[in-house]
Amino acid sequence: MDVLILASESCDPATEIICAPENVIELFEFTEPLFSIGPFDFTRTVVLTFLAMFIVLALLFMGFRKTRVVPTKFGVAMESVVSFVRDDVAKGTIGPDGSKYSPYLLSIFMFILVANLFELTPGINFPLTSRMAIPLMLAVVTWLIFVIVGFAKNGLHYVLDIAWPKSVPLALRWLVGLIELVSVFVLRPITLAVRLFANLVAGHLMLTLLLGSGWIFFAAVGDIGVRSVIGLPWFAFGLLIFVFEFVVAVLQAYIFTLLSAVYIQTSVHPEH
Amino acid sequence: MEEIKGAIALIGYGLAAIGPGIGIGIVVGNAIQAMARQPEAAGMARTTMFLGIAFTEALALIGFVLFFIA
Repeated sequence: MDVLILASESCDPATEIICAPENVIELFEFTEPLFSIGPFDFTRTVVLTFLAMFIVLALLFMGFRKTRVVPTKFGVAMESVVSFVRDDVAKGTIGPDGSKYSPYLLSIFMFILVANLFELTPGINFPLTSRMAIPLMLAVVTWLIFVIVGFAKNGLHYVLDIAWPKSVPLALRWLVGLIELVSVFVLRPITLAVRLFANLVAGHLMLTLLLGSGWIFFAAVGDIGVRSVIGLPWFAFGLLIFVFEFVVAVLQAYIFTLLSAVYIQTSVHPEH
Repeated sequence: MEEIKGAIALIGYGLAAIGPGIGIGIVVGNAIQAMARQPEAAGMARTTMFLGIAFTEALALIGFVLFFIA
């Protein structure tokens, strides 16, 4: 049962306080590939990445296949997502020229949203963004965009203004510049990736532990009889967390998109 | 000094969660105050609130990740 994280069998609870679950390496290391095409190994994560990509493409294609005078309900829903990202996130944060960046922002918003919602999809139950590679890759793309835009708009002044901020008193300028350099070019992509990753890992573990322990008690009804009712509160709490995780999934997709927009904005208008 | 045994990373995560907990409380509290005083600026306050939460929360989440790495 790969959906559940079960404690490893070699673990002795009497001597070890916390036993590392066996399947938790799925979050950090490469697992056995399901199948291979040439030199490319297709693990579960890769398959799910392609699935998420096709779902996003299908959603947008179905929503905007042909322009109608009276749009369908689904078309209106997709339109509201697109206009939310373009008007509220891109134009609202970056400014009037923000619509130039809205295709990228819409892509990452839709992809992260679908990838996060895999956590709550019965039968998949695996948030794609809880593999560090995927949020890190998205964060690196955002990093490349805001660095390239910064250099294209401001030339070398982009780095010089960050490293030597004129508005700070001279005695502290080198220190503030150093902190700013590290925070802009190193900490920004790391925190962007870690935020998404850690939120989804935490949610995944919490759901697995609560629903899993509930399920283990229910499944042991033959051995422990009526005492398996103890699984009921675990299961109920797990279902509460399930609803909470839905909010987290949507919110984290929004926050990743919003922060990407904010970072691009600091490169477009560095004075603010 | 005697050797400390057990899941020390758990204590580290608990310590890492104190500051962001207080910080998010301050952020959300002030955002609610701003929304109550100026309901017409609620949208802007909400966006900024999410930004503030995201920046503050990162510290707690780094503590959470260190729990696995340690």
